[in-house]
Parts: sequence; structure tokens; C-alpha cells
Amino acid sequence: MRRRAGESFLVGEAVEIEVLDICGTRVKLGIVAPDSVLIQRKESLLTRAENIIAARSVRQHSIASLLNQVALPPHGAPVKNLTDASGLTTKST
Amino acid sequence: MPRIHTKCFGKVDYPPAAVFDFPNGLPGFEDEHGFVFLERPGTHPLLFMQSIATPELCFILMPVLAADPHYKLRLTEEDLAALWLPEGRQPRMGQDILCAALVCAGGEDRPDPTVNLLSPVVVNLKRQIGIQVIQTQVKYSYRHPLLSHQDHQELVPCS
Repeated sequence: MRRRAGESFLVGEAVEIEVLDICGTRVKLGIVAPDSVLIQRKESLLTRAENIIAARSVRQHSIASLLNQVALPPHGAPVKNLTDASGLTTKST
Repeated sequence: MPRIHTKCFGKVDYPPAAVFDFPNGLPGFEDEHGFVFLERPGTHPLLFMQSIATPELCFILMPVLAADPHYKLRLTEEDLAALWLPEGRQPRMGQDILCAALVCAGGEDRPDPTVNLLSPVVVNLKRQIGIQVIQTQVKYSYRHPLLSHQDHQELVPCS
């Protein structure tokens, strides 16, 4: 299917997607859909799923093996300089 | 001083000023608004982002520059506004903001650890406000392997 700016198409009968504007590599879309249809960017869905997997992966033994595997620090640069996170972190006791 | 039960480090006392506000939570954890960042000697460069409300919820983070020294962060105007950062210029990593990626520490489903460079956690260090940014202008993987970088360094050509 090829569409120009100002033209639209339907997904099923209730969802209409219109190409509003094209500017270089970016396309602006207008979407008309029922309230029950969730509209989100694909990256949002991937991020949500990945967050849940990441949270589940945190275990004591996984931290230990992670620390053994992580390259510390890259190219010999001190990590402190990369983040300077000293002002924000709370030392656990 | 308030005390939290942490997932990884037992009970930890923290000053209230150490809490970072995530007004929208993170995708999948929209109701989690308060986190503290923990580090321990020997866990560099990893940081632990512990929920105030939920002891079982803790993320492992790694500064993006530790995962990819050439990492480029591009915040949209909406991102800048959500972080209370001035419009029109990109903040400086390490000075204005902390930019860190969530680590998936490997497990049954995925043996090797990965970092999510597509959607880093970005924190305004002065305002102590954080969001999870989804980068759309730069192509990054949400399952960037953590070890390839190190493996390449260790490869030695046969002679």
C-alpha cells in the first residue's frame, strides 16, 4: 500500500490511520480508534516487557556472577568520572 | 532516619533527601514513584535502584558510558520538560544528569546478561526527578550484550 499526505487507511472497520504530514524521514500520523484500543509506540511495549524481565533477573547469585563478568571499567577509564554518581548514591551498610 | 527492606542488601537506612521521584514510574511499574540508588564497595560500575514502596523491586543499573563509551543520548523537548531541564540544549552526562541502562542479569530464559540501551533511565541530579527515556532518534538495542566488548579485548590473534 502506498499513501500520500492527507490520505488514510483502515485497520479493521473501527481504526483509521491518516498520514498527516511527511517531513524528510519523519511521518506524522493521525489515528482514530475506539477508547478500548490502546495505541502505543512499539518501543514502549518492548521497554515494558524488558523492564519486567530485568526486575525478575535480580537475585543475589545473579549479581555475583554479573560482577565477575562485567568489564571494569572500559578502556581503563575510571567509572567515577563517567557518572560522578557520588552525589546521588546512598551507601548501604 | 527511614529504613527500607531492600531486595539485595537487607535493611538499609536512608536520608529522605536520597529519594528520587519518578512521577510516571517506569513502563510496567507505573505505580512505583520513589527509588533510592544504592552502591556498595566492589559493585562498581553497577548501581542498584531500589523501590521505596516495594522491597522485592530492585533494578540493576549500569551507566550507559560504561556499557558503550560512545553512547549518545538525545532527549526530546518532552523529555527535557519532564526532567525539569532547560529546553533547547542537551544536558551533560555526569553533571546535569545520570544516564544509566537497566541490566538484565541473565537467568533461565537468557543466560547472558544484556543492557537496555534503547530505554535508559535518566535522572536530573539537582531536582532528583527521573524518567525512563525511549530513544527514537538513535538506534540502540534493548538487549545489548554486556560481554561482547570484553570478549573482543581478550581475543588475541594466533601467530
